[in-house]
Amino acid sequence: MDWKLLECLCTARGISGQEDEVRKIVLEEIQPYATSIETTPLGSLIVFKKGAKRPKTKLMLNAHMDEVGMIVTDIMDDGLLKFDTVGGIDRRVLCGRPVTVGAEVGGVIGAKPIHLLEGEEKEKSVPVKELYIDIGAQDREEVERYVTPGDPVTFDSVFDTSHGMIKSRALDDRAGCAMMIHMIQSELKYDLYFVFAVQEETGLTGSRTAAFAVEPQAAIVLESTTAADVAGVDKENRVCCVGGGAVISFMDKRTIYDKEYYQMAFQAAKKAGASCQPKRAVAGGNDAGAIHVSRGGVRTVAISLPCRYLHSAVSLISQEDFISAQKLVCELADRIAGEEQDD
Amino acid sequence: MDELKRLVFRLCAAPGTPGDENAAAKTAVEELSQYAQARIDKMGNVIAKMGKPGAEKHILLDAHIDQIGLIVTNIDKHGFIRVDRSGGVDRRVMPGSPVTIYGKEVLTGIVCCTPPHLSDGSEDKVIPVEKMAVDAGLSREEAEKLIRPGDRILFHAAPKSLLGTRVTAPGLDDRAGVAALIRCAQLLSGCDLNCEVTILFSSREEVGGQGALTGAYSVNPTHAVIVDVSFAEQPHVPPEKCGKLGGGPMIGIAPLLDREMVDGMIETAKRNGIPYKLDVMGGSTGTNSDEIAATRRGVKAELISIPLRYMHTPVEVVDLTDLEDTARLIAEYIKGVE
Repeated sequence: MDWKLLECLCTARGISGQEDEVRKIVLEEIQPYATSIETTPLGSLIVFKKGAKRPKTKLMLNAHMDEVGMIVTDIMDDGLLKFDTVGGIDRRVLCGRPVTVGAEVGGVIGAKPIHLLEGEEKEKSVPVKELYIDIGAQDREEVERYVTPGDPVTFDSVFDTSHGMIKSRALDDRAGCAMMIHMIQSELKYDLYFVFAVQEETGLTGSRTAAFAVEPQAAIVLESTTAADVAGVDKENRVCCVGGGAVISFMDKRTIYDKEYYQMAFQAAKKAGASCQPKRAVAGGNDAGAIHVSRGGVRTVAISLPCRYLHSAVSLISQEDFISAQKLVCELADRIAGEEQDD
Repeated sequence: MDELKRLVFRLCAAPGTPGDENAAAKTAVEELSQYAQARIDKMGNVIAKMGKPGAEKHILLDAHIDQIGLIVTNIDKHGFIRVDRSGGVDRRVMPGSPVTIYGKEVLTGIVCCTPPHLSDGSEDKVIPVEKMAVDAGLSREEAEKLIRPGDRILFHAAPKSLLGTRVTAPGLDDRAGVAALIRCAQLLSGCDLNCEVTILFSSREEVGGQGALTGAYSVNPTHAVIVDVSFAEQPHVPPEKCGKLGGGPMIGIAPLLDREMVDGMIETAKRNGIPYKLDVMGGSTGTNSDEIAATRRGVKAELISIPLRYMHTPVEVVDLTDLEDTARLIAEYIKGVE
């Protein structure tokens, strides 16, 4: 498998509300293959692709283009930047990270030197209100030539595909975007709608409005979900495991998923020869929360990649899980759209 | 400044944790060889000679070549890599941090971080290093093939430019000092000096200064100038403990530092229009000066510090003008030795 497309998507910078760079890449990739493309007022892409047959159920697939990050809120007299977090970023992972402000201004999130910490300070992560970004400016005036409040801030990271894994920033949810692009670039059995949504991390507004516009009968949400199979977590709290296959959700904090589609997803995985696992906790939430209550209701299912260190500078997924999820989603889309059954 | 930046970035890109400084030391030797004959000794120190051999005054110029990092202690049954700190790594910056593992091959890892949904209210507590682990995305079998106890790990952060003449990189403590002394060697090369000069890039400073201890013994100098980093002004840090980024080198004053050398440095700075700040310490300096001044029958020593922000995190920041001014100050001081 070639991971160039995913690398291109993951290295693009696009916090919620500023997804332009990602949208541009998606457009370049799909333009020759899509039947029609519409950009919504909020910036989501609605893509229609004609298949060999007309569907019995109008199906929409959804992945979000935005990522968690930070936003510059103020410039201080000493040339340092105050910021706020955008989306549910894990505040414990901010301190000591190199970042990029806007498209290309290098910066760092510093910390008080360990040598000067007193008592309790050593044992506690640094509160966000005490953090700031240093871009090396001497004073406010120098900053103002390069940065204004509202500029996005993203982590500097890696893109590593060694030993069957992918380690990168923003796998949530550029991996989902990559899967949809692969589908749009291939021949489809049934007509399908694809939504590349904006602003998932800050309140599902992109998918809410796109689902209204598309008016689907059913939806598949492609996501990344927390894999807590890391050191220090008991087996029963792992939610899902990297390498365990695509994750199928019955319920999370936002959505109770369609029961029949939930079952159907396991059958589709079997048929497609894709490994899969149930999400073993009611945790997190995604665009399904907005989509399943759109208009008069939409039957919705979520297929996710198990992803470690979601919402931090570098997250990790398995290449096999990606391939499994891709196969599962293709098969499941045919079953839902065509109302196909096992022979 | 471009040449100095190139040098700093090259030095910072070479790994060199305590006791495993070879890559960084070799890089320093390559850079230094243009100006002086340099070698690596059995403790991993870089030693280079300049000036007038056998002169009455023999000045040792020291900067440490090692940097803080992590060391692999074992691999657990799930393939997670257990680690200890090699030097004073700030535990607060570890969770979720990308790292580079120097095993049989160079691997990317991530310091494990418990997901927020499992938080029980104690998530802001920084856990002890024994409970932390590095995830290389490998099974136990794969991990054991590629990584052994004793292998070293560094934070992953490429050196990069900030605005103006400021740069960030892990390990600027004390590659900034190493770079300043290489630049100093360049300024001294071809000069007719009245003293003997030995440059020492010492190993293992971050774990106790064993490189400086043995290096100073071998070199047997009469005087020493130690170049390390010190705190630069930043929020939440008392300004009286700090230098200023771009404010020039900090001239150290402490009980074990030689007052005559202090005055000589101040005079040299004034004469050459080099900005500086005094850095007064009531006791030990916490640098190689403490070891070097107490070598053999005693060595007259002075500490020059480069102001640096965010010490012992992956994003240390310096201003290249301070490196240049440090190099000039020391070079002019040495040229003035009679």
